[in-house]
Amino acid sequence: MLDAKTFTPLLAVDNSGSALTVFLVYTLVVFGLALLSNHLFKNKSFLSEYFLGSRGLGVWAFALTFAATSASGGSFTGFPSRIYSHGWILALWIASYMVFPLCTMGILGKRINQVARISGAITVPDVLRDRYRSPTVGLLAVSLIVFFMSFNLVAQFKAGGKILIVLLQDNALFQDGVAWTRSVLPQTGFLSAVDPGYLLCLAMFAFAVIAYTTYGGFHAVVWTDVMQGIVMAIGVMIMLPLAISQSGGVDAMGKSLAEMTPPRVGFVELTIPRAFDKPITLPSRWVLIPGENGNQRLLRLPAIPTVPAHSPGYKAESRYVELTTPAEIERQLERLRGGAELDAFRAAVKRLDPAAAVESLTIALLNEIPSIAIETTIVYEKKYLYGDGVVGAYVTGPGANGPTLEATLQAELDAVKRKSQINDEELAGALGFLPLSIAVSYFFMWAISGTGQPSNMVRLMAFNNSNTLRKSIFTVMIYFSLIYFPLVIIFCCARVILPGMELDPDSIMPSMAVALTSNAGQGWLAGLLIAAPFAAIMSTVDSFLLLISSAMVRDIYQRNINPKASEKTIKRLSYWCTLLVGIGAMLGAVNPPKFLQDIIVYTGSGLSACFLGPVVYTLYWPRTNAAGMIGGMLCGFAAHLAMYVGGVYVNDSFFKPWQPMGFDPIIIGLVVSFASTPLITKLFPPPEKALIDRYFRKRPSTPDA
Amino acid sequence: MPPAPSHSPDPPPADDEWDPVFIHSRREARLIVLVWLVAMLWTVPYCYFTGFRKEGESPEVTFILGMPDWVFWGIAAPWMVANLFTVWFCFGYFVDDDLGRDPDEADSDAAKESV
Repeated sequence: MLDAKTFTPLLAVDNSGSALTVFLVYTLVVFGLALLSNHLFKNKSFLSEYFLGSRGLGVWAFALTFAATSASGGSFTGFPSRIYSHGWILALWIASYMVFPLCTMGILGKRINQVARISGAITVPDVLRDRYRSPTVGLLAVSLIVFFMSFNLVAQFKAGGKILIVLLQDNALFQDGVAWTRSVLPQTGFLSAVDPGYLLCLAMFAFAVIAYTTYGGFHAVVWTDVMQGIVMAIGVMIMLPLAISQSGGVDAMGKSLAEMTPPRVGFVELTIPRAFDKPITLPSRWVLIPGENGNQRLLRLPAIPTVPAHSPGYKAESRYVELTTPAEIERQLERLRGGAELDAFRAAVKRLDPAAAVESLTIALLNEIPSIAIETTIVYEKKYLYGDGVVGAYVTGPGANGPTLEATLQAELDAVKRKSQINDEELAGALGFLPLSIAVSYFFMWAISGTGQPSNMVRLMAFNNSNTLRKSIFTVMIYFSLIYFPLVIIFCCARVILPGMELDPDSIMPSMAVALTSNAGQGWLAGLLIAAPFAAIMSTVDSFLLLISSAMVRDIYQRNINPKASEKTIKRLSYWCTLLVGIGAMLGAVNPPKFLQDIIVYTGSGLSACFLGPVVYTLYWPRTNAAGMIGGMLCGFAAHLAMYVGGVYVNDSFFKPWQPMGFDPIIIGLVVSFASTPLITKLFPPPEKALIDRYFRKRPSTPDA
Repeated sequence: MPPAPSHSPDPPPADDEWDPVFIHSRREARLIVLVWLVAMLWTVPYCYFTGFRKEGESPEVTFILGMPDWVFWGIAAPWMVANLFTVWFCFGYFVDDDLGRDPDEADSDAAKESV
């Protein structure tokens, strides 16, 4: 049940070192799996083993590697933060996961596995090239995969570094490492503007994932995926009952959310009159200031302010979130009046001012610190674009939708000056988080777009027989049902348990892990729970890494440059290629482009627009020819790209695509691709009869299948 | 010179000459697409008409097991039905087919036999 000690500082777990321990244990285990994998595949055909696991995956390995690869880092960072920010509408956003295993594994699975076996294909471009006996088709497919996946890989590396920094940021050993990194970084040039903490985390993450993927190949990736998939499921299953219980039970949680109104956000200026001999970190994030009509306004600062030494009258500007629901304010004040929060506050005040009578402190608020008398002034305030003042915005559609807030007040004011009137982004935001057309788009986005991802297709080529596929669809169905819907419940509970975190959404997952386990008296469990997002991002990155290096080694080098290359050459090239692609992605992520999250969306939907239609026709329509295939891929690519280019004219930005009738570019790309492939096919002669016979005519059954 | 490839002047294979894996997979894929469509046609309109706040309206939200009723009937319940369907699909409809053997694997077995 909810009690006064619910809000616990994140520092608790980090000081214990459990996050660092989790990372180190993880790294050791995945290295062990890579060693084992490399040892076991010594006697098998290198390429097939390294990139496809010799087509020998059983139920658990296939199901969990498929599930873990599909569940990227976003499932445990971006998705929870969206649930927290927008409420129950995220259940609709994710609803197509009810048919996700059926669609992504059942539509193509059996047939693509068979077609790949007929020709001995080990990559998606391999399948397409052999099916049409056309190197052009193969090279076009490789080019599209390498183009899209390279951007995506950089983005995934960045996400890996960011997740690690959230987990380790307050660990003392890690801070020493950051200080050392800062001291060795050059003062000028490429690395001078990079946050040393991020750089260190990126390097640690990259070293781990590149090393085990390069050395162990596909089987190491699959085994680590299995382990990571299990960790994710256990993490969610532990969090669910704790979250429900600590938010007061399902009925109380529902009632609390129903009466909630969205917060307001803005900038507050803190003035600290007193000077200190050394820099100090203020001991609370919460500020209570008088409002209109005798009401009180409760603000939460996303970062704890630090005051430099010898600075009387120091002014600090901070972003804030203001709670607006009376019951929520009362609940949070109650927490600040007792338990661990007040104890930690008193101890911190005592350190600041040893003479202070901390026993008289009754509430852990920033402006209650004796002898400092912090003054606060609200300098800028923004309302929610959709849902401001609306009771029940978190339990109805289209869902509360907050404003963007630049990192600094000056940047925010500059942004306001640039806008003479409401812009398209704000207009879209004012429709709520998930208007009807976007809800339809997301039903396509997850289940259908997921089916068109080459990283999923290549896994469908790796299971050992159709019985494995049938049991794996069932297993993944249970797995996703245990993960995605419970995540919605858990992070709706988070709105009740941890209010005011709208401006630091990346920390919601680790913060919930710490709060839930600490309140349950099982702080050690936090390490396991915060491992889940780390596991998710690792299992996606390793697969993408292998996908790109397989495209280069198999599809470009072996099939086009040197078909007679010896196994030794291929082996050496595969290791080097995986290593270099990984290092390249890491370097790209050191100073990533500004619109990286938008690039992830663009590449994911772009791949589906290029590949889903053509691959479906490849497998199920004998009449398809190479021209139709090339036309389908290029038309899907062009239509999808056109929506983004249209965004430049309509919305003044490439990454705010034009959405005719509100539909996402993925739908336009898929429709064009599915329509153009048969149209172009019909303009050209049918494929050779031998090809149709090879892939579509009944074959003699194998004796031991 | 090798003979020019034949561009299907012949009729397509007769019904019983098609690869059964192709026939079974296509039938299963069609059913899955149909189920996806049914899921979307139930979930999105149901949630929109019962759970969305429209201009000047404020939907009456009741709760079932802690979740808004529109989430329960629009998403959670169909999710359960979809799971039941998946169980039936996997164990009552899906056909176990012989997917053939990888050429590498076949070569390796042949080499072993010759030894």
